Amino acid sequence: MSNKSASVWTSIRFWRRSAAWVTATAVVLLMWLTFDTVKQISMGSDEDLKKGIRKRIPAPTVINYHIDYKFSKKRGHEVPVIGQKEPFFGKEWSPKEAAALLHKGKLTFQAKACIDCHTALGNGAYYAPDLTKAWLDPKWNNGTMTAMIGKKTKEEAMAEFLMHPDKYPTHGRMMPNLHITKDEAIALVAFLKHMSSIDTNGFPRNFSINAKRLKGGTNAH
Amino acid sequence: MQSTIVLPNLAPNEFLGIFVVATLVLVFGVGYAGLVTLAKMGYVKRAWQYVAYLFWLLQVYVLYDLSLRIHSSVFTQKILIVAMIAYLFAPHLYFYLVDQSAKRYESALENRKEES
Amino acid sequence: MLTNKHLKYESQKIGMNYFRVAIVLFGAQLLFGLVCAIQYLWPGFLFETLDFNIARILHINALVVWMLFAMLGSVYYLLPDEAGRDVVGAGLGKLGFWVLTAAVTVVVLVYLFIQIGPGKESTIWFINEGREYIEAPRWADIGIVAIVLIFYYNVFFTYIKGRQTGILTVLVADLLALAGLYLAGVFFTDNISMDQFWWWWVIHLWVEATWEVFVGALAAYGLIKILGAKREIVEMWLWIEVLLLFGSGILGLGHHYFWIGTPEYWWEIGALFSSLEPVPLVAMFVHVLYDWGKEQGHKEAVEGEGAHAVSNSPAMAWIALNAFGNFLGAGIWGFFHTLPQVNIYTHGTQFTAAHGHLAFFGAYATILIAMMYLGVQGAYGIKKMTMTFKSKMAIGLITFGVIGMTVALTIAGYEQVLVERAELGAGWDAYFIAQNLTWMKQAMGWRLVMGVITFIGFVYLLWDLVTIGEVEEAKEANELQSAVA
Repeated sequence: MSNKSASVWTSIRFWRRSAAWVTATAVVLLMWLTFDTVKQISMGSDEDLKKGIRKRIPAPTVINYHIDYKFSKKRGHEVPVIGQKEPFFGKEWSPKEAAALLHKGKLTFQAKACIDCHTALGNGAYYAPDLTKAWLDPKWNNGTMTAMIGKKTKEEAMAEFLMHPDKYPTHGRMMPNLHITKDEAIALVAFLKHMSSIDTNGFPRNFSINAKRLKGGTNAH
Repeated sequence: MQSTIVLPNLAPNEFLGIFVVATLVLVFGVGYAGLVTLAKMGYVKRAWQYVAYLFWLLQVYVLYDLSLRIHSSVFTQKILIVAMIAYLFAPHLYFYLVDQSAKRYESALENRKEES
Repeated sequence: MLTNKHLKYESQKIGMNYFRVAIVLFGAQLLFGLVCAIQYLWPGFLFETLDFNIARILHINALVVWMLFAMLGSVYYLLPDEAGRDVVGAGLGKLGFWVLTAAVTVVVLVYLFIQIGPGKESTIWFINEGREYIEAPRWADIGIVAIVLIFYYNVFFTYIKGRQTGILTVLVADLLALAGLYLAGVFFTDNISMDQFWWWWVIHLWVEATWEVFVGALAAYGLIKILGAKREIVEMWLWIEVLLLFGSGILGLGHHYFWIGTPEYWWEIGALFSSLEPVPLVAMFVHVLYDWGKEQGHKEAVEGEGAHAVSNSPAMAWIALNAFGNFLGAGIWGFFHTLPQVNIYTHGTQFTAAHGHLAFFGAYATILIAMMYLGVQGAYGIKKMTMTFKSKMAIGLITFGVIGMTVALTIAGYEQVLVERAELGAGWDAYFIAQNLTWMKQAMGWRLVMGVITFIGFVYLLWDLVTIGEVEEAKEANELQSAVA
C-alpha cells in the first residue's frame, strides 16, 4: 500500500482535505452573503416610510399608504411604488397597531395553512392563485369582486370574502370555509397588503398586462 | 452590487426552444462523458470515442444557442465557452483517476480480497 | 421484512424497525397524493372534509418523514458493518424509535382531525406550523430535535469507539449538518421574506446538499456490500463527490433567492452554482455504472461467463435507477428552469411540481428502497438475493408511474407558463384561465392515471418486501440440498 511514487490524485487524504476546504469556503461565502442579505431584507421603519426611503421590505405601517406596481426603466421590470396615504379599514394605523395587525395576519396565514393551496412569493402549492400581489389584483380593483360581495372598499370586500369564501364562488375550484374570524380576516388583508409592497425583483412578471386587459390594474390608468 | 443580468421579456413562442435546448445540453453532456467511459473501458469500439467528441461539439453548440435564446450578455457567453473547454477534459481526468486508483489500490487481480 | 432472525446486532434490528414504519408512511404519502390529484379534477371531492391543503400537508410531510425514517434506519443498519461493533446505546436507540413513531402518529392524527386552528401562537405550537414541508407543530420540532440528539449520540460514539471508515466519517459530519440545519426552521417571524430566506436553508441545504451527500455515502456502502467493490476506490470517489456536491450545492441555494425580496446579486450566484449542480450527478452516474461493469468483468474473468458479481439484484437495480433518476430528476428537470431568465416565468408553476416528483423519487426514494432490500437480505441471511416477479413489477410500475406523472406535470407547467405567465402576465384571472384549458385538464387526468399506476407498483413493492425473504431463503436451502445430494 505505501507506494511512495503514487500520484497525489489518487490519495484519499488529498481528496478528503480538498473536500473539506471547498466545503468550508462555500460555507464562509454563504455566511458572508447571508449577513448582507439579512440586513437588506430586515423590515424598514415607519420613519423610512415617512421620509420616502425605499426598503426592500417596508415597515408594517405601509398599510397606511397607496401601493402600486409599476415598470421601472432603470431596473427593467416592475417594482412596487409606495404613494400617498390612504385609509385602511377607514383609519390610519399607528406603528404599534400596524405591527400587531401584521403579526396576527402572519400567524393566521400559517395557522390556516394557506401556503398548502396558494403560493406566496411564488413558494407553496399550485392549487390556487399566487398571493404575492393579491392586494393589487385587477379582480379586486376593477369592481368585479366589490360589486359581487357588496362592499364599498377593496379591503372590506377581501375580508368578507376570506370569512365566507363559500358564499362567493368564482370557479368550480373554490376556497373552503376556514372559519376565519373578522379580526383574523382584517389581519390577513393587512398581511397581503404588506406583502404586495415587497420588492421581489419583478416577480410576478408582466402583472400589468393582466391589469390592462381587465381594466382594473392599479397601474392601468 | 449592480446586476449584470438583464431579464428580457420572452415571447410565448420562445419557451419550447429554451426547454428543449436546455435538456439537450445535459443529454449531450452525459452522452459525451458516458461514451468516453464506455470506449475506455472497452465495452464499445475505440472509434466511438470520436463520436463522443461529436457529442461534445454538439453540446457546445446547444449551450451557445441556449445563451442566445435567453438573451444573455456577451460576458456570460464567454464564461460558458470556457466552462465547455474545461468539460472537454473532465472525463479524461476522471478516467485517469479511475485508472491510477485501480493501479494503486488493487495492484493485481488475483490479490483481490473478496469482501462479503 | 417481518423478521430479524439472522441479524446479529441490535443496531440492525432498530434499523429494520425504522424501515417498517418508513414503508407504511410511503404508502400514506401515495394515498394522500392521490386525494390531491383527484381534487385537481373534481374539486368537490372531500371538499370541507379533507381539503386540498390538508391532503397536501399529509402528502409532503409523509414524504419527508418516511425518508427521514428510512435514512435513520439505513444508518442504524450499516453502522455495525462499518464500525465493526454494535451501537453504543441500543436501549436508548429503541426508546428513540418508539417515541418518534408515537410522536409522528399524534402529529398525523392532529393533521387529519383538527387540521387548522385560530390565528394564535397556540396553533403554531400544537396543531400545525403552516410552513411548507416543515408543518409539524413546534412541540414536535422540539421532540424531533431530542430524538435526533439520541440518534447522533449513538452514531458518534459508535464511530469513535469502532472502526472509523471513510463512509462513516462522511456520515458523521453530514448528519451533524443535517440535524443542525433543522434549527433554522424552528422560529416565527412576521417578515415573510425573512421567513422564506431561512426556510430555504432547511429545505435546500437538506435536499440539494446534505441529503445528496448522504445518498453518496449510502451508494458507496451499497457498492461495497453488493458488488464487493474495493473500499479505497469507493471512498476516494466519495470524497470527490462530497467536494463536488457541497462545492456546487451550498451556494446553489441562490436559485431560491431570485424573487422572495432578496437582493439581485443572487441571480448571478444562483445561476452559476446551480448550473454546476448537475456535474456531481453526472460523476455519480458514471461512477456507479463503471463500478458495476468493472466488478462484473472481474467476476467473469475469474469464474467464467454467466457468473454474477451482484449479491442482491433488487437492491442493485434500485441503486442503478438512483444514478439515472438523480441525473434526470435533479439534473435535467432542475437545470431547465433554474436560470433566472427562465425562472421568472416558471417559478411557482407545475414545473416545480414535475421537478419535485422526479427528483425526490430519483434521488432519494430509489436508494432508500435499495437499503430496505439490503435489510431484508440481512434479516433472512440470504447470500445471493435475486429479483422475484414482484420485485420486477414494483420497480417497473413505480418508475413508469413516476416518469408518467412527471411528463404530465411538465406539460401542465408548460401550458401554465405560456398562458398564465407569458401571455396573460399572472394574477387571479390569468391563473384560472390557464387552469381551465384542456391542456391542463388532460395533463392532470394523466397525472392521476400515472399516480394510480405508481400506487399499484407500491403494492407490489410492499408485497415483495414482505415475502421475498422467505422465497429466496427457501430457494437457497433447496439449492444447497441438491448440491449435497
